Amino acid sequence: MSLIEASSEAEHTPGITPAVRGKGPWQLAWERLQRDRAAMVSLAVICVIVLLAVFAPVFAAVTGHGPQDQFPETGLTPEGLPVGPGSGFWLGADSLGRDLFVRLLYGARVSLLVGVLSTLLATVFGVVTGMLAGFYGGWVDGVLARLLDVVLSFPYLLVAIVLVAALGAGVPLMILVIAFFSFAAMARVVRGQTMAYKEREFVEAARSLGASKLRTMFVDLLPNLVAPVTVLASLLIPTAIVFEATLSFLGLGVDPRTPSWGAILADSTDYYRVAPGLLIFPALLLLITTLAFNLLGDGIRDALDPRSDRLLSRK
Amino acid sequence: MVCATLLLAVAACGVRGPAPAAPTGSPESGGTLRVAGSGDVDHLDPSSSYTVVAYNLARTWTRQLVSYPASKDFKTATTPVPDVAEALPKVSGDGRTYTFTIRRGVLWNTTPARQVVAEDFVRGLKRLANPVQPSGGISYFTQTIDGMQEFFKAFQQAPKTAAGISAFMQHNEIRGVRAIDPRTLEIRLTAPASDFLNIMALTFASPAPVEYERYVPDGPEFRQHTISLGPYRIEQYAAGRSILLVRNPSWKQEADPLRHQHVDQIRITLGQDSTDVVQQQLEAGTSDLSWDLPVPTSAIQRLTGDPNFHIYKGSSLSPFLSFNLQSPNNNRALANLKVRQAINFAVNKVAITRIYGGSRLNTMLDGAIPPGSSGYDPAVRPYATQGGTGDPARCRSMLAEARVSNLTLQFPYRNSGNHPKVAQSIAANLTKCGIATKLIATSSDDFYGRYLSSVAKSREGKWDIGAPGWLPDWYGNNGRSIVVPLFDGTNYAEGSTNYGDYNNPEVNALIHEALTAKTGETAAKLLREANKKIMADAPIVPLASQNVPTFHSRRVMNAIYSPLSQQFDYTQLWLVS
Repeated sequence: MSLIEASSEAEHTPGITPAVRGKGPWQLAWERLQRDRAAMVSLAVICVIVLLAVFAPVFAAVTGHGPQDQFPETGLTPEGLPVGPGSGFWLGADSLGRDLFVRLLYGARVSLLVGVLSTLLATVFGVVTGMLAGFYGGWVDGVLARLLDVVLSFPYLLVAIVLVAALGAGVPLMILVIAFFSFAAMARVVRGQTMAYKEREFVEAARSLGASKLRTMFVDLLPNLVAPVTVLASLLIPTAIVFEATLSFLGLGVDPRTPSWGAILADSTDYYRVAPGLLIFPALLLLITTLAFNLLGDGIRDALDPRSDRLLSRK
Repeated sequence: MVCATLLLAVAACGVRGPAPAAPTGSPESGGTLRVAGSGDVDHLDPSSSYTVVAYNLARTWTRQLVSYPASKDFKTATTPVPDVAEALPKVSGDGRTYTFTIRRGVLWNTTPARQVVAEDFVRGLKRLANPVQPSGGISYFTQTIDGMQEFFKAFQQAPKTAAGISAFMQHNEIRGVRAIDPRTLEIRLTAPASDFLNIMALTFASPAPVEYERYVPDGPEFRQHTISLGPYRIEQYAAGRSILLVRNPSWKQEADPLRHQHVDQIRITLGQDSTDVVQQQLEAGTSDLSWDLPVPTSAIQRLTGDPNFHIYKGSSLSPFLSFNLQSPNNNRALANLKVRQAINFAVNKVAITRIYGGSRLNTMLDGAIPPGSSGYDPAVRPYATQGGTGDPARCRSMLAEARVSNLTLQFPYRNSGNHPKVAQSIAANLTKCGIATKLIATSSDDFYGRYLSSVAKSREGKWDIGAPGWLPDWYGNNGRSIVVPLFDGTNYAEGSTNYGDYNNPEVNALIHEALTAKTGETAAKLLREANKKIMADAPIVPLASQNVPTFHSRRVMNAIYSPLSQQFDYTQLWLVS
C-alpha cells in the first residue's frame, strides 16, 4: 500500500521529488497491474480455483464421495437419471451416480495441470525456436520459419484426434499435443521481436565486446523478450484448458474415470434436460477460468507495456 | 389432403367421419408415413440384410414361405405361420423333409405381373451363398439344409460378376433343395431341426426373381432394380439419404394373410443423428416414426403415461461380461473357475440396469439365456446377490480362497452409447473387490475385430474382460441363434462370437442334442440343462436384457410392435388426420 501511496503522491505533486528508492520495471508493472480492477479480480478468481483444486481431497473427505466413487443407489433415480443438487450431493450427481462437485474440483486439477504445463512447454520450445530463427536468420530462419508455417497450418483438432486415437489417451500425451500446437504462435512472436532487437545498439555493443552468440542471445536479448512472452503465455493457458476440454468432450482425453470438465460436459449432452446442473456447472467453471486467465493476460500486457493505447485511454 | 391422394384406391374414403381417437377404430387408407432416422440399411438385398431396420423395410416389399404374424402377444408374434406358403409345410416322418406349397395369387411386380414360383425360392437360397456378398446368416442354412455347405464352398470359387454368379447358379444345385413343380418346393435337412421354420422365416429366405441374376447381389444396380412381392415397392432408393416406398399395384390382400396396405406411401428420411431431435419431431408430429434411433433415456420419465409411448419386452444378452479364458495375463487367472465366480458376485447389476434407464427398460439377468429365448430358466441364478447390488466382500474372500491377488484386467470398451458407462461401472465394482482394470477405448469395429473376436489377440491377452451384446436373430425356439454362437465350444475360430473360447464337451453335447430334437419343447428342456451347466462354469457375467422404448406420432393408429425388427410393423398401421 505504501508504494501505491508514494507513487500517487509523486503523480499529484510533480514539482517535488520525494526521497524514494528507484523502482524496477517489474515493480512498476505490478503497481500498474494492481490498478487494473478486472485483472485483480481475475487473479483472485484464479487463486480461488487453484485453492479449490489443491484442497479437493478435503472436500472429498467432507462429502464422503471420492472422485471416482459411484453411488448408483443414491446418486441415480430408479430410472437411472442423475439426482439434482441436495444435501447428499452438493451440486447433484453425474450419470454414474458420482458426486458432481467433487469431480469438478478434481477436474480443475486436470485442467490447470494441462493448461499450465503445456503452456510452459510451449513457451520453452517457442522461445528457443523463435530466438534461433530470428537471431541467426539465413537458412536457419528459412527452415525454422517454414516449420512454424507447417505447424500453424495443421488442422490441429484433426491431428490431435488421430494422435490420441493412435497412441492412446493420457494426460502426458495431451500436454505434448497441446504444447506442440501452441509453440508455433509463441515462436513467431519471439522471432519477430528478436529480429527487431538484434539490430539495436546494445546487441552491437555486446558483439563488439566479444560476447559469444549464445551469450548475446540469452543474456542480452532474452530479458527484452520477457514481456511479450509473459503476455502470450498467460493467454495460451486458457486456450490449452479449452483444448483439453474439447478433446475430453470428444472422448479422446484421459481415462473416462478421471474427472475432467470436458468429459463431464460430454456426459451432460444426454441429460441436460433432466439434470441441467451437469451442463451448467462445468460450463460455468470453464467460462470463469478461461475468462479470468484472459483478463489477467490482458492486464499483464497493459502493465508491462505502459505505452499501450488502452492504458493511456483508461487514465 | 389424405383423401385427395386416394381417390383411385379407396372409394369409401369420402364417407368416413372424423378420425377416431382410439387406436381401435376401423382402418383408414391413405397418407404418407414419415419415418426419420440416422443411417442406411446395411444391405438392401434380402439375402444379406442383417439389421433390424433392414428387416422392417423388407417386411413391406418382400415375403417368405413362412413368416411372423403381427400381434401384441409375444408368443404369437414369434411363432411362424404360413405366408407365401399356402399352409405350414408337410414334414416327413423322419423330420428331415419339408414340402411347401406356394399360394396362388402371390405375384412379382413385373410387367406383366407374374406368379411367384418354387424356383424363385430355390434361387433365393442359392443366392445366400454367393461369393460377392454372402449372407451373414449363411451358417443357419449350412447347418441345416442338406448339401448347402458344399454348395456354399463351391460357390466361393465362382467369378465375382453377375454373369459368373448367374452361370454358377444355373449349373449347380443345392442337393437338398428341389422345385418339384412350380408350386411345390421340397427341402431336405441333414438332421431334424425343430427350429427350421424359424430359419425359413428369416428375411434371408426370401425368394429371388430371375431378373436378379442380371446384377451383382446387393450391388448399386441391384439396389435400383428391386422387384417387390409385398404390399409396397421401392420407388426410390438414395443411399444414405432417403427411401420412398409406394403401393405395389400387383399385390393382392387376399393373397397375403399377414400384411395390409393402409398408407399410400412410406417416406424414410435419413441423416438425422440426434435422438433428441427425432423425438422432438415425433412429439411435434412432423415425423411419425423413428427409423433407427431409440427414445432418449432422459425423455422416458417425462413420457411415462403418454398414450403414444410404449415399452416392449425384449430378449437379449445386452450387455454381458465375457471372460477371455485363453488370456495368459495374471498367471492365467481367468482360466480359474473360482476367479470368474468371484467376479460374478462382485458386479452390481442394479447399477447396470440404471445405466440403461431403470428396471422398466431392462431386465436384470442371472442366467446365460434371457427371458423370451429357448432354455430360459428364472431359477438358474447361482451368483445372485442381495437385491442384485453385488457382494464385493464375497468376491474378496473367494479370491483369497483361490490365492489370487493383484489382478489387473485389460478391459476394452466401445467408445459410444452407454458402453463407456458400463465399463466404468464394472471397473468400479472390481476395484471394490481389489481387482485393477485398464480401460481401453475402441471403436465398435475394433472392439470385436481387434479384441474379442480375434483369436490371436485373445491368446496374446490383449483383453481379459469385455462387455459385448447379443441379440438373437429370432425368438422362442432360438437355441441356434443364442446358445450355439455364444457357448458352443466346437466352432471356436477367427471371428467367433464365443468370445472367450468357452468349451465344455457336456454343454456341447446338450446343445447338439437340442438342435436335432424333434420338437421345440424337447429342445427347450435340453437348453435349460445347458444353461445350468454354463452358469456353473461362469464363462460370462449375465447383466441385462434390453426392453425397447418406442414412440410414435399422434396420427399413427394400430401400431403393432414386431419383436424381430424392434419397430412398428409398417404394413399394419394407418394414419388419421
